Amino acid sequence: MSSAPATTVSPVATLPATIAPTLDDAGVLRFCTQGYCLVPGVVPAWVNAKTIAYLDAHPEPEPSGILHEGWFREHVLCQPAAARIIRTLLGPGLALPVLMSSHRRQAPLAATGGWHIDGGSRWRPELQELQVFYYPQDTPEALGPTHLLPGSHLIENAQRAMAHYGAIRGEVSTAAPAGSIIITMYRLWHRASPATGTGVRHLLKYCYARRAAPGRDWPGTPGFDPATASFSGPAAPFGEQFHEAIAAAELFTWLCGQHHTFHHVGGQAWPVPAQRLAPPTGVPAGLTPWPPRGAET
Amino acid sequence: MSPATTATATPPTALAVQLRAARARLAAGTLTDADLAAIEAQAGPMRQDLLFLQASSTHPGSGALGMALVIDGVMQEPPWDGAWPYQNVLEALQDGWRVISFPNLALLTTSPGAKGLGCEFILERWRPA
Repeated sequence: MSSAPATTVSPVATLPATIAPTLDDAGVLRFCTQGYCLVPGVVPAWVNAKTIAYLDAHPEPEPSGILHEGWFREHVLCQPAAARIIRTLLGPGLALPVLMSSHRRQAPLAATGGWHIDGGSRWRPELQELQVFYYPQDTPEALGPTHLLPGSHLIENAQRAMAHYGAIRGEVSTAAPAGSIIITMYRLWHRASPATGTGVRHLLKYCYARRAAPGRDWPGTPGFDPATASFSGPAAPFGEQFHEAIAAAELFTWLCGQHHTFHHVGGQAWPVPAQRLAPPTGVPAGLTPWPPRGAET
Repeated sequence: MSPATTATATPPTALAVQLRAARARLAAGTLTDADLAAIEAQAGPMRQDLLFLQASSTHPGSGALGMALVIDGVMQEPPWDGAWPYQNVLEALQDGWRVISFPNLALLTTSPGAKGLGCEFILERWRPA
């Protein structure tokens, strides 16, 4: 029997512990309803140029070697403004990307990429991975930026059932300046848009993964009370009334590490949005206001 | 029901309209070869156009959430940030489209959550190839 060659397993690269969460309660709630967050123009110009040079030298669809480049790790993967948001949503010790996808498109290009969700999408009230896009060049509408459907992470679908979709009310463009980073729920619906200009559109796509149980360790929002906060969002027109508020509230509860206390009672109970005379029934016991009751000054 | 009542209850086809016009021109002595060619085109091969319209409810007057078309065998769509040709199914019907698929009610009533892009109507329109 021949002996198998020794296998080297690289340790998981994690986000530096010095990068602290930045979204507060309201920011996390907003992400739960929208499913994405755009951080415009935060990567330095010299890093954008170096990235484009790297991609020109490595035209393959998965140039994962760039993840080993120190300059890329520091200024893109761990770019503070984006990384703090990612840290908020994925908790401490999150894993840095281990796979890089390059979506290079030569403009002009009349065809859209077609609406889709990426393979492996799961429709659970959890946030285990964030899919992130990075534009190293200015990406106006003419260069065919990715379009997203806000809130669509709350609208269950199947990749094969979306291929005939065209224009959708509420879709948004991620047209953005060079150095922009877009943080998305993995299962958010997206597509490349037609490019009417000329040139190359680089788009790098990669994922960060959760390694810790969820918990509400982000900054609080003074006066924020989950019992009265509105969980409504842009997915509202696409299903039964209040479906999107219920789904976003469940996701928020999960992120708070309190999903075991979540139970949608139904009727007009929490989290159905309304201007009530008193707090609604059905609020999970683990969802407390901020600052916690009794800690007010 | 009288034959006359039956005739008025069914909208005339484009071919029928052209035949009536041709009869009138024949009676007037103005029928031309171009008139006959137009009729011949109507009687020849036809091409199906499709309109996928996803609406917010099963009511044909409910607002369109999504739209895509197949025109002359090519997928098309209205501008994502501009005006759409129809705001709902009723407007498409008034423009000559015919519903060939109604939203599947079984799929809509089995779960309180959102699945897919609204209530999908599929409409067709036939035109000379």
